[in-house]
Amino acid sequence: MTDSVQQQVFEIIAKQAKLDVSSVQPESTLKDLGVASLEVIETIFDIEEHFDITLPEQENADFNAETVQSLVDAVQKALDDKAAAGNGNDA
Amino acid sequence: MTIASDRRVVITGMGAVGPHGLGAEALWRRLREGRGMIAPLRHPDGERLRTKIAAQVPAETDLAAGIDERTLPLLDRVSMMALGAAREAIGQSGLDFTNDGLGLRTAVIIGSGVGGDSTHDEQSRRLYAENATRTHPFTIVRLMLNAPASQISIAWGLRGPTFAVASACASTNHAVIQAAQMIRSGMADVAITGGTEACISYSALRAWEAMRVLADDTCRPFSANRRGLVLGEGAGVFVLESMERAQARGAIILAELAGGGMSADASDIVMPSAEGATTAMRQALAEAGLDPQDVDYVNAHGTGTAANDATETRAIRLAFGEHADRLAVSSTKSMHGHALGASGALELVAAIGALRDGVVPPTMNLDQPDPQCDLDYVPGTAREMPVRAVLSNSFAFGGLNAVLALRRAP
Repeated sequence: MTDSVQQQVFEIIAKQAKLDVSSVQPESTLKDLGVASLEVIETIFDIEEHFDITLPEQENADFNAETVQSLVDAVQKALDDKAAAGNGNDA
Repeated sequence: MTIASDRRVVITGMGAVGPHGLGAEALWRRLREGRGMIAPLRHPDGERLRTKIAAQVPAETDLAAGIDERTLPLLDRVSMMALGAAREAIGQSGLDFTNDGLGLRTAVIIGSGVGGDSTHDEQSRRLYAENATRTHPFTIVRLMLNAPASQISIAWGLRGPTFAVASACASTNHAVIQAAQMIRSGMADVAITGGTEACISYSALRAWEAMRVLADDTCRPFSANRRGLVLGEGAGVFVLESMERAQARGAIILAELAGGGMSADASDIVMPSAEGATTAMRQALAEAGLDPQDVDYVNAHGTGTAANDATETRAIRLAFGEHADRLAVSSTKSMHGHALGASGALELVAAIGALRDGVVPPTMNLDQPDPQCDLDYVPGTAREMPVRAVLSNSFAFGGLNAVLALRRAP
């Protein structure tokens, strides 16, 4: 399950970065992958839309510099919170 | 370079509507007292929004005051605020536009980022949420970006060059520079200029949330713990005329609009460039005939975003060299929020107040020094000091920069 979340996040990032998904590694940063400025915001939007979650505002400033794995962790946490909040289907 | 006295431009009236309510003097008093106007967001859909704070015009402020009843249905909030500010500024100037055909030679140039946003939002809701098939017949005349300029022109019979200037958060400063150029060129004898913005609508708030630049606590310009900008709204309108004309009629001169500088970064659509900002500051100084050491205060763009405040600090250092360490620099957005296209107008009230009273308004909420922001930001409390000349910075998304240079009234 976790792998699948990671895989989906990597695919969204690879699409934004116009790279093959194999070049996205857990330790890469969006900056390393050439995703800059507004593209970072768009990537986060794509991830939010894809998983129907809201990523926390306060981590935004670091999405650029933090590793892709930390983004995957944030997605996983948002999914867990959504599941814990009850029926995720009509969230 | 010096400008001949018949081409020197002065400000003889100012008016403001903002998160303090009505009145330029009332706004200036709040700013010099360091009184913040950022408050819990007031919005019918507030529960659903992530945004919880804003700097809105207070609910009890009567924006319709003084506006003809038959005109009111034609007005979006953005035009009501512009008319309120214009009435105050024109009243203060003492000008009578019916006298000697002055209305024919008066320009109206008003900046706004988005124009009649609440009209657009409301009518879209009718169409898409309520499946209405009709919008209100005044939708177009309310929302068009030139409505504030046109309504001012109509209200006072001003028949000179009249139009809107749009450059997002730099709209006011671009408008004011354009207005000053018209007086210098002789195209107009008087110009009514400034900016207005009323864009705290559901759709605009959602759009700003999606950009992830809004602070959730407050606006903390130049502070290490800054978390973004806080949306505001308001209008500021000013009366410009040549110094010669103002002196001849015995008008009270609030300040000299000594010069302006405009540039484009031509790089990223949102990330600011120090070079572009520096170019605009240098041009403003040059046109005003000011050396860096003649300037005592810079009213910064100072949005409270990570990118702006560090870049602006670098730009001020580039433009002022060693003198940067002797400048007082403050961001009044820490108190009145970011009124986008009108922000330069609220800040021009602060710049004029600083020159006139010899008081630099503070930067509030700056409680953690940031090594990347290493100028004197006048944190927490206003400072009494001689203020001979001021720069007022506005930098916009789109990489557009416009800087005003002002000198104390002679």
